[in-house]
Amino acid sequence: MSLSLVNAELFKVRTTSIWWVLGIVLVPLYAASVLVNWAQFAAGQPDEGLSDTQSAQIEAALEPVNVATTLYTSGQFFGVLIVVLLGAIIVTSEFFHLTATTTFLTTPRRESVILAKFGAAVVIGLLVWLITTVLNLIVVPLIMNQLDVPAQLGTAAVWRAIGLNALAFGLWAILGVGVGVLIRSQIAATLVLAITYVVGTQAIGLIFFLLSEWVAEWFNKLQVIVPTTASQLMISGTELPGNPPRWVGAAVLIGYAAVTGVLGTLITKRRDIS
Amino acid sequence: MSTDEIVVEHLTKQYKRLRAVDDLSFSVRAGRVTGFLGPNGAGKTTTLRMLLGLVTPTAGQATFGGTRYAELADPIKHVGAVLEASSAHRGRTGRNHLRMICRAAGLPDSRADEVLTIVGLTPAANRKFKGYSLGMRQRLGIAAALLGDPRVLILDEPANGLDPEGIRWMRDLLKALAAEGRTVLVSSHLLGEMQLLADDVVIVAAGKLIRQGPVDDVLGTMGTGAHVRVRTPQPAELKAALSELNATATEQTDGSLMVVGAEAAAIGHAAFAASVELHELATERGDLEQVFLQLTAGKAGIR
Ligand SMILES: Nc1ncnc2c1ncn2[C@@H]1O[C@H](COP(=O)(O)OP(=O)(O)OP(=O)(O)O)[C@@H](O)[C@H]1O
Ligand SMILES: [Mg+2]
Repeated sequence: MSLSLVNAELFKVRTTSIWWVLGIVLVPLYAASVLVNWAQFAAGQPDEGLSDTQSAQIEAALEPVNVATTLYTSGQFFGVLIVVLLGAIIVTSEFFHLTATTTFLTTPRRESVILAKFGAAVVIGLLVWLITTVLNLIVVPLIMNQLDVPAQLGTAAVWRAIGLNALAFGLWAILGVGVGVLIRSQIAATLVLAITYVVGTQAIGLIFFLLSEWVAEWFNKLQVIVPTTASQLMISGTELPGNPPRWVGAAVLIGYAAVTGVLGTLITKRRDIS
Repeated sequence: MSTDEIVVEHLTKQYKRLRAVDDLSFSVRAGRVTGFLGPNGAGKTTTLRMLLGLVTPTAGQATFGGTRYAELADPIKHVGAVLEASSAHRGRTGRNHLRMICRAAGLPDSRADEVLTIVGLTPAANRKFKGYSLGMRQRLGIAAALLGDPRVLILDEPANGLDPEGIRWMRDLLKALAAEGRTVLVSSHLLGEMQLLADDVVIVAAGKLIRQGPVDDVLGTMGTGAHVRVRTPQPAELKAALSELNATATEQTDGSLMVVGAEAAAIGHAAFAASVELHELATERGDLEQVFLQLTAGKAGIR
C-alpha cells in the first residue's frame, strides 16, 4: 500500500465538509451512549421470571469488570456507525461527484486506489476510536465512582476490551469501504448500511430468537454471525454465559471485512469507468 | 516505437446491443495537433476512455507506442487528459482538487498553483467547484491535465463552454504544446475551430474509421482543396481567359466563380491581360465542415 495514496485519500476527506458534518452528528450520539450505559448500570439488579441463561447473563454483565469494559468502550455503537458510513462514502462519492475518472487516471492500478481507501478508512476509524476512548477515560472513572464500582484502570480485561474496540473500529471501516464498492450509489449504500446496522441488528436478533425458541436452541449461538453482535461480543470483559468465546466475534468481523474487501477490489478492477 | 505516439489497433467495444467502436485503427503522431472528429455517438469518447484504461476494450488495443496506459511508469507525467465528464467534488476548491492529484501522483503542491496560473484560474482557486462556470470547470480540467507536464495530451471537447477569448487561448496553448514536440489529440464538433487548430484529422462515424490524414490531404481528396474565389461582372470573358491556364471555373449559387487549378496571382494576371474587371479575388482553403458532412453523410444520427 502506498502511503502517498493513503495520504491523498485522507486529503480528499479533509478537503470536503463530510468529516465535520459526521463529527458533529457523533457528539450527541456519543453523549447519549454514555448516559444510557450509566443509566443501565444504575438501574441495578435483574427482574424476576427470566430464563436461567438470561439471568446468568445479566448477572455476569453486572460484574464490575463487565460494567467497566462496557463503560470504557462507550460510543462504539454510534462511532462505528459513523465510521462505516464514512468508509462507504469515501468510495461512493467518487462516483456521485464523477471524480472516479480523475482518480483512476492519476492511479490506473485500481487495486492500489481501493487499498489506499481501506487504509484511509482504517486511519479514520482509529481516530474516532482514539477520541471516544480518551473521552471515556476522562468521564467513566467519575461514573464508576458514582456507581460505587472501582475504576479498574489497572485491570487487564479493561485494556483488552479497549484494544479489541480499536480492532472493531478498524474492521468496520474496511467493511464500510467494501460495501461502498459493492453498492456504488451513494444514497443506496448509506441507507442500506445505516438501516441494516441500526434496525437489522434488532430484526435479525428477533429472527434468531424465534428460530431458537421454535426450531432449535443452537440457533441462538449463530447470532454471532450478525456483524454488530460479533463486535459487541468481541469487547465483552469476561466470557458471558451462553455466548461463544470472544475470538469468534473477531473472526466473524475479520471474515466480513475480508470478503467485502476482496470482492470490492475485484469488482472495481473490472468495472468500466464512464 | 515511441511512447509519445498513440496507436489504436482493431479497437472494438461492444455494449449490450450496440457496437460503440468497431474495429477502429489509427495512429496519432507527436509534434502535431490531431483533430478527432465524428458525429454524436460515433464512439470518440469511448475510444479515448479505452486509450486511458478507464473502459476495457472488447477486442483490439489502444496504446502509447505499444504500452498500455496502466503500464506507463508515471502515467500522469506522461499523459494528460481532459475528458467530457471530468469533474470535481462540488464542495472542494479548485486548488484542493489539483493538490489532491499532486499528492496521489507524488508531485509537489506548488505545481497546483503553477497550472492555475497557466489556465488563468488563480483568482478562483479558493472557491468551491460548485460555484464555477462551465468555462472555469473546463479550465480546471485543462489545469489538471497539465499538472504532470505530460508528453501526450488528450482532450475530449475541451472547447465546450469556453468564451471566444478562451477558445483562442486554448488554440494557442495546444499549438504551442505541439510545437514543443508533444502529441495532442483533440476531439471536437467545432469544425471551423478544428480547421484553424488541427494539422491532422481522424474522422470516425458509427464506430468506424472514415478517413485519417493531414487536413489538407483530406480536404484535397474531396475536391474542395485550395481554390480561388473570383467575382466579376464578365464571367464569360474570364472563363475564356482561364481556360488558357488550364484552370476550371465553376459558377457558385451566390454568383461568384470557384477557380481550381490556378494561383490567385495567375488569375489576376490573366484577367488584367484580357481586360476583365474583378470585384473579388481571394484564395480559400477547403472547408472542413463541408468535407466532414460529405464523409459522414448517412452515417451520422444517434444509434
Ligand atoms: N456505458 C455504456 N453503455 C451502453 N452504451 C454506451 C455506453 N457508453 C457509450 N455508449 C454508446 O456508445 C456510443 C458511442 O458513444 P460515445 O460517447 O463514445 O460517442 P461520442 O463520439 O463521444 O459522441 P459525442 O460526440 O456525442 O460525445 C453511443 O451510441 C452511446 O450511446
Ligand atoms: Mg463524446
